[in-house]
Amino acid sequence: MQKFIPTLLVAAISVSLSACMQSEKQDEKVVFNKNPYPSTYQAIPSKTVLIKNATVLTGAGERIDNADVLMSNGKIEQVGQNLSAENAMEVDGSGKWVTPGVIDVHSHLGVYPSPSAESHSDGNEATQPNTSEVWAEHSVWPQDPGFQAARAGGITTLQILPGSANLFGGRGVTLRNVPSHTMQGMKFPEAPYGLKMACGENPKRVYGSRKVSPATRMGNMAGYRMAWSEATEYKRAWDKYEADYAAGKNPEAPKRDIELDTLKGVLDGDILIHNHCYKAEEMAMMIDLGKEFNYHSGTFHHAIEAYKIADILAENGNCAAMWPDWWGFKMEAYDMVQENVAIVDAKANSCAVVHSDSGTTIQRLNQEAGKVMYRANENGFDIKPEHAITWITLNSAKSLGIADKTGSLEKGKNADVVLWNQNPFSVYAQAEQVFVDGAKVYDRFDEKYQAKSDFMLGQK
Amino acid sequence: MKLFKSSLIALALASASSVYAESIAITNATVHTVTEQGTLTNATVVMDNGVITAINPKTVTADSTIDAQGKILTPGLIGSMNTLGLVEVSAVSRTRDASDKKADITFDASTAFNPKSAAIAYSRKGGITSNIVTPRGGESMFKGQAFIADLSGEFDSIVETNSAVLLNVGSKSKGSRALALQNLRNKLEDAKSALAKAKSEAKADKKKDAKEPKRDEKIINALLAGEKPLIAKADRATDILALIKLKQEFGLDLVIADAGDAVSVAKQIAEAKVPVIIATIDNLPSFDALHQSLKSATVLMDAGVTVAFKVNGDTHNLYQLRYDAGVAIANGVSKEQALAAVTANVADAFNYDAGRIAVGKKADLVLWSADPFELSSRVEKMWIDGVEHDTQSRQDALRDRYITESDMPRAYTK
Repeated sequence: MQKFIPTLLVAAISVSLSACMQSEKQDEKVVFNKNPYPSTYQAIPSKTVLIKNATVLTGAGERIDNADVLMSNGKIEQVGQNLSAENAMEVDGSGKWVTPGVIDVHSHLGVYPSPSAESHSDGNEATQPNTSEVWAEHSVWPQDPGFQAARAGGITTLQILPGSANLFGGRGVTLRNVPSHTMQGMKFPEAPYGLKMACGENPKRVYGSRKVSPATRMGNMAGYRMAWSEATEYKRAWDKYEADYAAGKNPEAPKRDIELDTLKGVLDGDILIHNHCYKAEEMAMMIDLGKEFNYHSGTFHHAIEAYKIADILAENGNCAAMWPDWWGFKMEAYDMVQENVAIVDAKANSCAVVHSDSGTTIQRLNQEAGKVMYRANENGFDIKPEHAITWITLNSAKSLGIADKTGSLEKGKNADVVLWNQNPFSVYAQAEQVFVDGAKVYDRFDEKYQAKSDFMLGQK
Repeated sequence: MKLFKSSLIALALASASSVYAESIAITNATVHTVTEQGTLTNATVVMDNGVITAINPKTVTADSTIDAQGKILTPGLIGSMNTLGLVEVSAVSRTRDASDKKADITFDASTAFNPKSAAIAYSRKGGITSNIVTPRGGESMFKGQAFIADLSGEFDSIVETNSAVLLNVGSKSKGSRALALQNLRNKLEDAKSALAKAKSEAKADKKKDAKEPKRDEKIINALLAGEKPLIAKADRATDILALIKLKQEFGLDLVIADAGDAVSVAKQIAEAKVPVIIATIDNLPSFDALHQSLKSATVLMDAGVTVAFKVNGDTHNLYQLRYDAGVAIANGVSKEQALAAVTANVADAFNYDAGRIAVGKKADLVLWSADPFELSSRVEKMWIDGVEHDTQSRQDALRDRYITESDMPRAYTK
């Protein structure tokens, strides 16, 4: 590159000179499309639905017994007792429970689909430690039969993340759990992108074994810092371009970098951090890292040791997404406690989330939350179902930046609703009917509402 | 132990690691016997010297009596098809003893069993009192020998070694599944003809001494004699049918584990009287198991197959066995069937005399706060060989440390 420097310098000088002399004449502004693969999701046509006489957990912390839920035009119209509506399709909810649609903030459905096959193993671009340029949505196979299985478990929204081999794994995408033969047909309209980061053992194992940095945890930190430092310069260059252009100058646009676009998106506040990070001391450093480079450190996933720093998480406004009981598969997963979620949750301004990271447990996220509630209550906590449900609904929506659209049964929000055969925190609980934007997408007793992926169709 | 009660010498002679087992009567229990007796209400169970000595005796004589207040008493749950005690942290190679490249059919990992593994105390939270450990073996299709251990956490935990032969058949990332089946058949055929030859030679007295079979040959001979279960991991229906054919031809005591597509050949499995060991929550398709679903257990049981349950995935999740049984119940299995599937049916598959509440049986019992399959219930008390064990684990200590307020750093809270 060295020999081009004088040339570039001349060019830069001439650009700035011409900008000074001819401020009235500007080249067309360089603008990039931030949404080049836009959602084409359309809610399935729906009728007005009135669920009568159910036990309702609103997701916003309330429980209302003998309550009705009215959905119309794809939105929650009203939740309360003795509701009525003309032309509504009534659903008898006696003895049943109603909750918001369940949201999983950590899934690899579609990118590590079933059947497990090398040809479909598209979840982790484990070729270099920073792959901020990859987008999980470009790997999603919408025919993964796991989406239907998750729908039968009440999952209406889920974030698909890249894997955790890299310090920066790339962008995650939030999907509506509706059948579609394109990714765009599932994409949650206006949901922010996530950026997957990973702490700890995975990056250092994957790259260290190839004699490439990172090989240690300090190598991990150095890798993040170098990337954020570069992203800061990139942002500065673009901000300057924007400001100069706005001032009537004719600046030359910086060279576009797809990898840095994602990191800049975080620094601009458009993209949310989703950080695979098990250990207390690492999470505490990742929070400081965010402060060092002026972004929010977001949600910690697989936060096995979150209970050790519940106060720090709450003070800094971080969500922690956790399993109730997975442990022991790695050193960083050794210190699991079954009450982790409850301990994190107990702090004011906390954001405790139960996630799956599994095509199997995503089908019973309600029970995963239930396990925590019961174990915690055996050990001095007093957690009620109306509160535990927030771990898989409203708090999950907050983590994904979509709490204004879904996650609770509040007037005007998307009508994402699950009708359960009983208390959803029972091992015997099953979703009977599932609604996304007011449309029934699953019915346990009506095959008409049981979608089947192309892959399963016609298999003998 | 009662006989020796007054004898200090006898006590001193007893195994140093086993706790002195006094006789215990559990009264007023709802006893799920997992026998033809079914469920007994307001029942009394007496255990002494490691075994159940009486059920509903006319007069109760025991060193101590526990009023169950109507709560549910079941046999201790039995885990299987995992590496409990052989792996502490899955990704830490120096804590793994379940596999070895060179391991063959003779591989006996019981000598590596660590009763102090943190996973053992934790698994007791799930009411698991004993476990059939199945090593992962090496390059051979035979993965070695299963062994049985209890979950007391004591150094004398091993109940039985060389309990079953482990075999993997099915899809291969390199090569063809056909070769494993072919090799298995060849081995059985060769062993059978060698036995016949030895027999005829012995008859004709051609040799003074019959040649002693090698260790691996003895194991195959035990399979041919039906003396030892062959636990074959297989999913695809064709593999299951091929194994059934071998069972019929060679008189094997065959058990099929995983059995993803067993639902497609449920009738044949039932007719061949082959028990299966499945994970109830495995319902996502693979090419070898396109038809498994949450209803698999129900379909198999309805067809008359004897079904045992195991957990899916990592050994550390063993405590979830009862919840996975609960999921099977939600999908059509009766509670009685589900309980048998995590107790007697597991034991039977491995010819292990446990998993039932009956006089003379191993006193492995669990008293539950409520429905054993529910998320909201917990183990109130449990006994292994008639000795009470708690469910406290490292996880409890960590929790207590971090929910206890202190002015000092947490490390001082112990």
